[in-house]
Amino acid sequence: MTTRETPLPLTVLSGFLGAGKTTLVNHLLRHANGQKILVLVNDFGNLPIDRDLIEAENGNLLTLANGCACCSMGGDLFEAFVTALEFHPPPDQLLIEASGVAEPARIANYARAEPDLRLNAIVTVVDGENFLSSDRDHRVEHVVEEQISSAHLLLLNKCDKINDTQKEEVHRQLQQLNPFTSVIEMVNGQVPTDLVFDMDTTSRSSRDVAVDLHDHGDIFESWSYQTDQAFQLTDLRNILENLPPTILRFKGIFLAKPDLERWTIHKVGSLIDVARYTGAASPRQRSKFVAIATKDSGIETLLDMAFSDLVA
Amino acid sequence: MSTLTVFKAKKIITMNPANPVATHVAVQEGKILAAGTEAEIVGWGEHILDETFAEKIIMPGFIEGHCHLMAGGIWQFIYLGYQDRVDPDGKHWPGVKTLDDVLARLKEAEANLKEDEPLVAWGFDPIFLMDRRLDKNDLDSVSNTRSVAVVHSNFHLMTVNSAALKLANYVADMGVDGIALGDDGTPNGELQEMAAMFPIMRRLNINLRELGRSAGSITDFGKVCNRVGVTTAADLINDLPDEDVAVMTDLTDAKEYPIRLLSMLNGLAQTADETRERALELAMKSTDKLRLGGVKIVTDGSIQGFTARVRWPGHYNGAPNGIWNIVPEQLNELVSVLNEAGVQMHIHTNGDEAIEAALDALEIAKTKNNRPDLRHVLQHCQMADRAQFRKMSRLGVCANLFSNHLYYFGDKHYELTIGPERALRMDACQSAIDYDVTFTIHSDAPVTPMAPLFTAWCAVNRLTESGRVLGEYEKITVEEALEAITLGAASTLQMDHEVGSIEVGKWADFAVLEDDPLNVSPENLKDVRVWGTVLSGDLFKIP
Repeated sequence: MTTRETPLPLTVLSGFLGAGKTTLVNHLLRHANGQKILVLVNDFGNLPIDRDLIEAENGNLLTLANGCACCSMGGDLFEAFVTALEFHPPPDQLLIEASGVAEPARIANYARAEPDLRLNAIVTVVDGENFLSSDRDHRVEHVVEEQISSAHLLLLNKCDKINDTQKEEVHRQLQQLNPFTSVIEMVNGQVPTDLVFDMDTTSRSSRDVAVDLHDHGDIFESWSYQTDQAFQLTDLRNILENLPPTILRFKGIFLAKPDLERWTIHKVGSLIDVARYTGAASPRQRSKFVAIATKDSGIETLLDMAFSDLVA
Repeated sequence: MSTLTVFKAKKIITMNPANPVATHVAVQEGKILAAGTEAEIVGWGEHILDETFAEKIIMPGFIEGHCHLMAGGIWQFIYLGYQDRVDPDGKHWPGVKTLDDVLARLKEAEANLKEDEPLVAWGFDPIFLMDRRLDKNDLDSVSNTRSVAVVHSNFHLMTVNSAALKLANYVADMGVDGIALGDDGTPNGELQEMAAMFPIMRRLNINLRELGRSAGSITDFGKVCNRVGVTTAADLINDLPDEDVAVMTDLTDAKEYPIRLLSMLNGLAQTADETRERALELAMKSTDKLRLGGVKIVTDGSIQGFTARVRWPGHYNGAPNGIWNIVPEQLNELVSVLNEAGVQMHIHTNGDEAIEAALDALEIAKTKNNRPDLRHVLQHCQMADRAQFRKMSRLGVCANLFSNHLYYFGDKHYELTIGPERALRMDACQSAIDYDVTFTIHSDAPVTPMAPLFTAWCAVNRLTESGRVLGEYEKITVEEALEAITLGAASTLQMDHEVGSIEVGKWADFAVLEDDPLNVSPENLKDVRVWGTVLSGDLFKIP
């Protein structure tokens, strides 16, 4: 058994058949931003990768030129996690594309229990076009609801195919099923990779801790902050617990009071995770934080104020 | 011509209605040349008369239509079940009835282990040890230093000691579903569902899938079959990669391997088209003793785990409905693709909503492409009502009913899972007979122990563990039950032209019994003693 230095972040990608998971996977692999993403696919073996991305193909494993890989997992989660944790070279991110009937929270539980895994987020893609349709199969209703209510990020796809009244109704129903998560509208699986994955802020040069929003700046905004200051765990947790759902993602690596050990903190949707940092030490240890919010959420003011209160 | 051997028996129950009882059976080239009286046989010429079975009863070899190769490999762990069981080497393991029994057995096993080996046990069922739950403190008394893991009989739970908890860093409340907490707020050792068990299993190298794969496991599986008179057994889900098929082919080819083995490809591991291609490719690799080409499709979960898909009004105790392993819409597609290609399907359906979805999928497939050459089977099929049996009959679909459930879980079904009315009609063998649905009955070993005569006893008596009769009407006769575990099973495996009865042309595969099952009272059917088996004319006495 291989043990990891830092836990492998797990993202569970859920959504019913035809919601647009495949398109999103392709988009994320195209914009991996230097991270080695391992994608495990469950919908009975269909590897959803555009041909032009593939460098090599070996049985049910596809290797991509950018260091990412995609593998079909045959429905057996136990085997899937063994495969991911033994995978060589060790990936930076693990994305499991759950089958249409999987309850994502069950998959996410593996990451909560396994020390070598960390739950990054349950990301659920909702088919905006089909969501309101009355001919949905009642036998799978509870699965669709569970996928929405357990999500930390809700991506509403195919928004261009419905009118504003319909869109409003979808938003209303989603909000009812999951009041803690804001809904991001998406067309063709286009969302910033940094929003889906938890990018390790320490892996970039210290000058650039900002989030890479690519050309999504019209929909999202980001915030970042660096300081030599150390923090109380409870203070930071407090800030995160009180953030509005418009702040989609928050992450940080920081010096903790009183002993100045390094800790990490993540928030996405209702999921908050605070853990001791186990990766390699870097020469200059500062506290760094970044956040992504929907446009015009007032993120700057909100977080600047929260932090200045702490530092003061 | 090769040697002609004639076995003389006290009685031969043939399952051939034209010649139901015989005293002699002639075997040549592994096949049955003739069955009848001595006078009827001698006409075939020079023969060796074998009188080994002169005082015994010969039946067609029993056929287990739904079990798992893991039934062999699981015995590398210590047995901790409530009921007595016999391991592949014939060792009798008395059931553990109290917590003291559990701990005594674990301590005894612990003393025989090497220093760095974990102690792993299986088969434990807390519902039979009512006083309290087993916890880490109990297991700490077995060892403080060595990891101890007790896998429960349903394979969905385990209880571990503090040393094992520490391995996975389960030392405080982590807020994880499935890591049960004690009164002091720390994990108490009980782990529920695979997510919580995974970190421990990974670190102790307990891999249930591997248990069915190794050569040793497959060999042990053959021994398990031999002990209960089984000569043909179907392993009801397997990924069947080439390297495993090679191992299975070599092992089963050997003259000393005592059974014909069927293994069904997991139909949910790849796309429908890939499954079809692989199934057709595997069918070409079949031999006399290894049969491939069938596909297993798992639609729902289990009734006792509340994961079966149940129609209105749902569970008796109000538990939410269970899980799908495949979207019904996808099932329709998969079933059509495989049916069209001529691939036989074994569809796992426990709850009546899953049965309905499977029958709908088969109806669509058969309307498009009726393939009278194919017999698809609903496996478990426990909650089917009579309308569903009529539909099976119309569609030519077979049923493999889980009769052992009546005994092992019947009380729970009556009181908790589905309530009296539906419990009284579950695993409905008489309804299958009423509507002429080809059926067999099974053990799902290692979930319940393999022993077709016990399974037949369950179908005949429908008695639960506590002694309640679970539905008088659905009881069948001993004759009908014996047909279910021979010819019925052969039919569901599309092998009824080769095995399942003792008549000319079929394989000389026999179950050899010390007592006549037609001459004991029906309540004692399970106690009929097995001498061993004959496969292709070769004798396999239970060692």
